[in-house]
Amino acid sequence: MSSAVIQIKDLVKHYPKAERPSVDNIDLEIQPGEKFGFFGPNGAGKTSIINMLCNICQPNAGTISYYLNNKQQTVRQILPSIGYVPQDFAFYPELTPVQNLRYFGSLYNFPKKDLALKIDELLTILGLDHVRNKKINTFSGGMKRRINLGIGLINDPQILFLDEPTVGVDVQSKLVIISLLDQLNQKGTTIIYTSHHLKEAEDFCDRIALLDNGKIITVGALVPLITENKVANLEELLIKLTGKTLRD
Amino acid sequence: MRKLIASIRKESLILLHDKIGLILMFLMPILLVFIITIVQNSAFQLVSENRLDILVVNKDEGNLGDSLIVLLERSGSFAVSTNKSISFKALRKQTIDQKKLMGIYIPPNFSKQTNLSSRKVSQLILTEFGAIAKQKFKEQVNPNKQITVFFDPVLQANFRLSMTEGLQTILASLERENMLRQLFTDMGYNEIPSEIRAELNHPDKGIVSLPASSGEAAQIPNSTQHNVPAWSLFAMFFMVISLGGNLVKERLSGSFVRLQTIPSAFLLLVVSKIFVYLIVSLVQLAFLFFLGVYIFPHIGLPQLNMPTNLLSVIVVSGLSAFAAINYALLVGTYAKTQEQANGFGAISIIIFAAIGGIWVPSFVMPSYLQAIGKISPLNWCIDGFYTLFLKNGAWNELLGTIIYLILFSIGCQLLILLKLKKQNYI
Repeated sequence: MSSAVIQIKDLVKHYPKAERPSVDNIDLEIQPGEKFGFFGPNGAGKTSIINMLCNICQPNAGTISYYLNNKQQTVRQILPSIGYVPQDFAFYPELTPVQNLRYFGSLYNFPKKDLALKIDELLTILGLDHVRNKKINTFSGGMKRRINLGIGLINDPQILFLDEPTVGVDVQSKLVIISLLDQLNQKGTTIIYTSHHLKEAEDFCDRIALLDNGKIITVGALVPLITENKVANLEELLIKLTGKTLRD
Repeated sequence: MRKLIASIRKESLILLHDKIGLILMFLMPILLVFIITIVQNSAFQLVSENRLDILVVNKDEGNLGDSLIVLLERSGSFAVSTNKSISFKALRKQTIDQKKLMGIYIPPNFSKQTNLSSRKVSQLILTEFGAIAKQKFKEQVNPNKQITVFFDPVLQANFRLSMTEGLQTILASLERENMLRQLFTDMGYNEIPSEIRAELNHPDKGIVSLPASSGEAAQIPNSTQHNVPAWSLFAMFFMVISLGGNLVKERLSGSFVRLQTIPSAFLLLVVSKIFVYLIVSLVQLAFLFFLGVYIFPHIGLPQLNMPTNLLSVIVVSGLSAFAAINYALLVGTYAKTQEQANGFGAISIIIFAAIGGIWVPSFVMPSYLQAIGKISPLNWCIDGFYTLFLKNGAWNELLGTIIYLILFSIGCQLLILLKLKKQNYI
C-alpha cells in the first residue's frame, strides 16, 4: 500500500473539441498532511486536476487512488472525507450563512447537535458570527470568500481542495483564511491548493507542482526547487520554466 | 431522511426568497383566470343576455320593413335605433359613428320583392295541388339578398356569424308569414286563419340544450367551468419560468459543482425540488379552484362546480403538476443560460397550450394539428380536467390522461438523468 494519500497515474483529461489535452499523462503522489500547491499559467491544467480529484469531472484515462484509514479508495468513495472550495462562490446567496452551512452539513448526515456546534465554531473562526442570519447576497467579497471556505470545511475534511481561495479579498480576510488553513493542516488535514498569488503560495505550500500545457514541468519542495533553478522566488521559477509567452 | 428534509427545507427557503417566481406562480394565474373568465363571460352575455345595439335604415316603400323592425325589437336580442334619412352610403359610416355593432339597410323594394317571391311560391303550390291551371310567372323576382348589413369591424367572425344568423331567423319568419298570408289570400281568405297562426307562433318550439354526459350529473358548461381548469393548468406549466430558471441559476452559480463533491446530493436535490414544487402546484390549483367556487359568484361570474369524484381530481391534478415539474426540470437541465430557460420555457408552454386546446378547443383545429396536439402534455391534462369538470366522467375515461402523463414524466426524467450523467452530476 502506498504511503501517499493521493496517487495519480497516467492521468489524462481531454475535453471534447479541445485541440490538446488539458491534463496530459500526469503521475503524482501527495503525502498525508502536506500543503501541496499546483501552479502554472492559465490553461495549464490546475483546475482540471482538482476537478478530477473531487469527482467534478471524469478522466479520459489514468487512475486516481486515495489511501485513507488504511484502505485504498476511489474518488466516489472518498467524497465524505474531502472538502472542496471552488474559485467561484458555491453557495446560495439568497440564504444566510447558517442556512447554507446547515444545508451542506446535513448532506453529510451529521447529528443535528454536532452540526449546530460545528456551524457556531466555523462562524466564529471566520468572523461571520455577527452576520450569521443575514443573507449572503448583502456580504462583501471577503465575507463571501470566507463563507465559501466555511462550507468546504463543514464536514471536517481529511483532504481539503482549494481553488484560488483568496482571490479578490482584502488583506484581513486573506490573513483569516490562511491562518485557518494552517491550523487545519497542523491538525492533520492534507491541503491541495492552487493560486495566482505566488507570494502567498510560497509562504504556504510545503511542496509544489509546476504545470504547463497539461504536463508537470517540475515537482518538489519549494526551497530546493528555487535553489536548483537559481531563482529568487516562485514567480521567477514559474517564468523560467514556463516562459513569458501569453497563454490564452 | 435528514438529508432529504434538509434539501426540502433549502428548496422551500429559496422559493420563498424568489418573490418574482412566487408572483408568477400565484398572482399571474389569479389574474389570468379572472380576466379570461370575465372576458368570456361578458362575450357570452353579450350574445345571450344583452341587447346588441343596431341601427336600422328603413327605406321600404311597403310595410314589411316596419314589420321587420318590430320583429327585431320583439326578438329581445337587439336594441334597435331607426333613422329613415340616412343614405345607403352614409350608413357604413354612421354605424361606426353611432357606436352600433350592426347597421341594417332595408331597401325601397324590400316589400315589393318579398311579396313577389311570396306570390310566386303561392302560385307554384296552388298549381301543384291542381287548384289553379299552370301558368308562367310573369314578374321577375330578384334572387339577390335585398337587405344589406354593415358590421363594426372590431366584431370577430363568430359574433358576426351569430348576429347574421339571428337576423336571418327573423327574416325567415317574416317571409314565412308573408308567404302563408299570400297563399291564403290566393285561396280566397282575408287573412291566415287564427288557429293556424296560433299554431305557427306556438312558443314551445325552442330547442332544449343539455350537456351530454357519461356520468349521472354533468355540469352545465359555462365560462368558469371551462376557464378555471384550463388556465390553472396553463399557469401550472408556466412555473417552468421559475423552476427551470432557478435550476439554471443554481447550476451556473457554482453550488452544483459543490454538490458534485458530496455523496448522493444531486438526487436529493432533484427529489426535493419535485416535492416542493408539487406541493406549490397543488396549493396553487386548490387556491384557484377555491376562487372559482367561493369568490366568482360574488363578482357576478358563474360558480365553479367541483366534480363529485374528488379523488380523481386530486390524481389528475397531481399527475399534471408532476408532468409540469418534470418538464420545467428538463428545460432547466438542458438550457445553457437562464435567459434560454426562460425564453424557451415560456414559448414552448405557449405552443403546448395553443396546440393542446387551452385557448381554442382542439376539435376546431385541422386534423393534422389535432394529431400534433397529442404530444402536448397540456392537451392530456385539459382532456382529463374537462372529463371531470364538464362531463363528470369516471376513472376509465381518465385512463388515457393518466397513462400519458406518467409516460411523459418518465420520459422527461430519463432525459434529465441522461444529461446529468453525461455532465458527471450523478
